[in-house]
Amino acid sequence: MSEVVPLVDAHDTSLFGSKAVGLGQALRDGLPVPPGIALAGPVVDAVAGRDEQAIERVVQSVRPLGGPLAVRSSAVDEDGADASFAGQHLTLLNVPGVNELTSALNEIWWSANSDSAITYRQRVGLFTRPSVGVVVQRLVDPETAGVMFTQNPITGAHERVIEASWGLGEAVVAGRVIPDHYRVGDTGEVLERVPGRKDVAFRSLPAGGTVEEQVAPELVESLCLDDEELAELSRLADRCETVYGPARDVEWAIADGTLYLLQCRAVTRAGT
Amino acid sequence: MQSGDEGRDVTAGAPVEVLHRVPLFADLDDEELGRIASVFKERRFPAGETVIQQGSGAAAFFVIDSGEATVTVGEEVRRVLTAGDYFGEMALIDAGTRTATVVASTELVCAGVTFWDFRPIVEENGVIGWKLLQSLIGVYRLELRGEG
Repeated sequence: MSEVVPLVDAHDTSLFGSKAVGLGQALRDGLPVPPGIALAGPVVDAVAGRDEQAIERVVQSVRPLGGPLAVRSSAVDEDGADASFAGQHLTLLNVPGVNELTSALNEIWWSANSDSAITYRQRVGLFTRPSVGVVVQRLVDPETAGVMFTQNPITGAHERVIEASWGLGEAVVAGRVIPDHYRVGDTGEVLERVPGRKDVAFRSLPAGGTVEEQVAPELVESLCLDDEELAELSRLADRCETVYGPARDVEWAIADGTLYLLQCRAVTRAGT
Repeated sequence: MQSGDEGRDVTAGAPVEVLHRVPLFADLDDEELGRIASVFKERRFPAGETVIQQGSGAAAFFVIDSGEATVTVGEEVRRVLTAGDYFGEMALIDAGTRTATVVASTELVCAGVTFWDFRPIVEENGVIGWKLLQSLIGVYRLELRGEG
């Protein structure tokens, strides 16, 4: 079996990790995932060790995506039932292109083999060698992005809870802003919309990496999603639950008017 | 234990040359060290980044290729590490906790090997395992004599 495949052909979680296989399944089910390449753990390991053949194979496969790239870890066991590696393994946004890919994969490999990652693995009872798959996608450069729970994570109610901010979703995920907060009911009606305080936004830099920018004053407390976008997000939640099952934690982005699914995983709860 | 996360001076060079000077590897020959060197991977740290943190779990042993790092134990600065120095070799044996903190004071380029990559080499090669055991006992005897 090949260790470098189009994302849509990623089937084996023991090779590619749950993130890659989940996104592959989403593509197979027609969900709006940006196209990409899935790299299996052993090939990431080889590239991180500067194996020339592995580097060439990966570069040839990734080159047609162009750039810039989003390079996301997809560790085996990641987001599994027994452990969530959220925050342990690296995601690198805005990697300029294939020339920078080797270094990016090396960084991601070390993020899964760092002291903090090992400490975490030991704490949750994992004593096996870490294996980190990777998803490489063309970077979506969004106007708006955020997260969505397909069920209310606090009450369990079957309603969509959406948090959104300007620019890349990292502002929401990393807690750098107070995001807009929305609740959308089962039938699509907007139950609640609370403007946040979104004074910064993460944007891509032409030379790679991201920058935290100040948001224009008039946008800081303006709602960043309209009714049509909320309806589209709600429809995406329906599709995700149909494909993956109930209670999903979705990362999404809207770029040039198109809604993209960036990640969809089971809701993990603190203390479990 | 004589060495650990506080590091020791060695001559800069290829990993095999550096590894020769690590007390833990003192009895290994070039071929055996070459086997270990083959699983090293480059790791870069920007200036200011904490490379290892005293008290945290330990995943890897590092040899510095270029740059400088500062070693502290508690609040006390113990030394500055430069190219050819190494630190963290105890992690290769027990994946225990770090005994010192190392912070990159400039951009730091290291070669590192993890517990997970080192262990199979030892498990597959009894000669290497026996030599490591002898080295450990040697270090232990020095420690007992107060020469460590």
